[in-house]
Amino acid sequence: MTDGDDGPPLFDLTDPPSVSDYLRDVWRRREFAVVVPAQDLRALNMDTALGQFWHLVNPALMIGVYFLIFGVILDARAGVDNYLGFLVIGVVVFHLTQRIVQDAAVSLSRNEGLIRSIQFPRILLPLSTVNGQTLGFLPALGVAAVTLLATGEVPGWRWLAMVAVLAGQYVFNLGAALIVARLGAVVRDVNQLLPHVFRLLFYISGVLFSVETFVTDETWRRLFALNPIYDIITCARWCLLGGSVSAAVVVGFVVWSLVLSVCGFVVFSRAERSFGR
Amino acid sequence: MTQSPAPAATASAPAPPGAEVTVSVEDVHVSYRVYDDPETGLKQIVAGGRRRRFRTIRALRGVSFDVYRGESLGVIGPNGSGKSTLLAAMTGLLPLESGRIRGRSRPALLGVSAALRPSLSGRRNIVIGGLALGMTREEVRGCLDEIADFAGLGDFLDLPMRTYSSGMRARLLFAIATVRIPEVLLIDEALAVGDQQFRNRSRRRIDEIRASAGSVVLVTHDLKEVTDGCDRAIWLDAGLIQAQGDPAEVAGAYESSVGTT
Repeated sequence: MTDGDDGPPLFDLTDPPSVSDYLRDVWRRREFAVVVPAQDLRALNMDTALGQFWHLVNPALMIGVYFLIFGVILDARAGVDNYLGFLVIGVVVFHLTQRIVQDAAVSLSRNEGLIRSIQFPRILLPLSTVNGQTLGFLPALGVAAVTLLATGEVPGWRWLAMVAVLAGQYVFNLGAALIVARLGAVVRDVNQLLPHVFRLLFYISGVLFSVETFVTDETWRRLFALNPIYDIITCARWCLLGGSVSAAVVVGFVVWSLVLSVCGFVVFSRAERSFGR
Repeated sequence: MTQSPAPAATASAPAPPGAEVTVSVEDVHVSYRVYDDPETGLKQIVAGGRRRRFRTIRALRGVSFDVYRGESLGVIGPNGSGKSTLLAAMTGLLPLESGRIRGRSRPALLGVSAALRPSLSGRRNIVIGGLALGMTREEVRGCLDEIADFAGLGDFLDLPMRTYSSGMRARLLFAIATVRIPEVLLIDEALAVGDQQFRNRSRRRIDEIRASAGSVVLVTHDLKEVTDGCDRAIWLDAGLIQAQGDPAEVAGAYESSVGTT
């Protein structure tokens, strides 16, 4: 048997590609991770009466319910000037990360057929989740901006810094999505556990109340700064509502985003070939 | 190649002299771990026997063969013989237990159905399918009309895909999947669907692929397709190659083992 003289040599098809080849392939196929989730987003509400308006109505209703319960009935407004604005930022930022992470847990199992039939860098699937949910979050961001303007906030140069916070959150979300996607592919039970994790996180991330007001002990405040979601929300509030932010929170945000995204890539790509078995 | 693989169950493989190997499969073993879910009636629960465990299915148990440039290779065998697993392994998608699969380029399975969205229009699905196959949006736009023509969509191009007839759907899937022709194309029973006209058209498309110096590996239950359209055939049973070589001989041997129906 001969390999023949012309043509490229035979290479092992089951060899994993090098990191640079892998990333080049991801970049070449980047449009997939934007166009497909955007189409899915369209398809989501296509048969409803309000159609694409749901992307606006949904976040508005959600914020309304939270304001009714925690702003009016339970009154958690202590220490906050603009509670509605405070709440809007917390809820919108928190739900972006929550939806991405929960969706990422099933991003591989949901696309099992695709994984089994087409060769492509699997990272495109959790990446599509992050992009899709981030696109779907833009209307909510619009609702938040309108709420802030309506409650008397004046846009200043700090509002521009929000772009950096969103970019940082994107990196954080991507890292979290990659780790959870791999976990979810190995142990399907993760999917059941995550809502409870996020329910807990919701109450310890200062979404509804001002941590600065309710937590006076310095040690406890430092512990709060270890919670990345609290860090992101606090930075976002600093941009849009003003006030002050501690260095620990900013450092926490940056370190979490960098560490999680690098770890996420390593953790995910190590299992690349085991997905879809 | 270090040595010629010769597992016990393989009949002599006629290697066309001087033919260039595009894919080389050497002593490949693949097994699946599946979740065993036995019946759990009251009796079993009372007996305390409700234990669920994993069972290992050995789908391929030492398969070796080569694919040559410009040939079309038919793979036949009963259900569950490992044919589809073999194709999946040839793309490099499946982790092998042992053995190796080498190629000059990565073979591609014909099939994009998993990427498509039934609630979206044919036009949007052509874009999604093309992107899933690794094309850019610009490239897909360039051949959108060609795909729509081949599939004969007509006015249905902008209607949701779930409203298509099964024949129309099959034509669209085939048209998208073959828009970018790989060097080695793997086909898993794609041609069993559709009417005679579609089958003729898809047969012509496959001939085009072979003419452009590619190889085609075809899994099918239609023995006529193998004897008429393939240069070589492999009969797979229980994860082992029972025979390979001339399509008529292999198909004949397979047929006599199954018994005429």
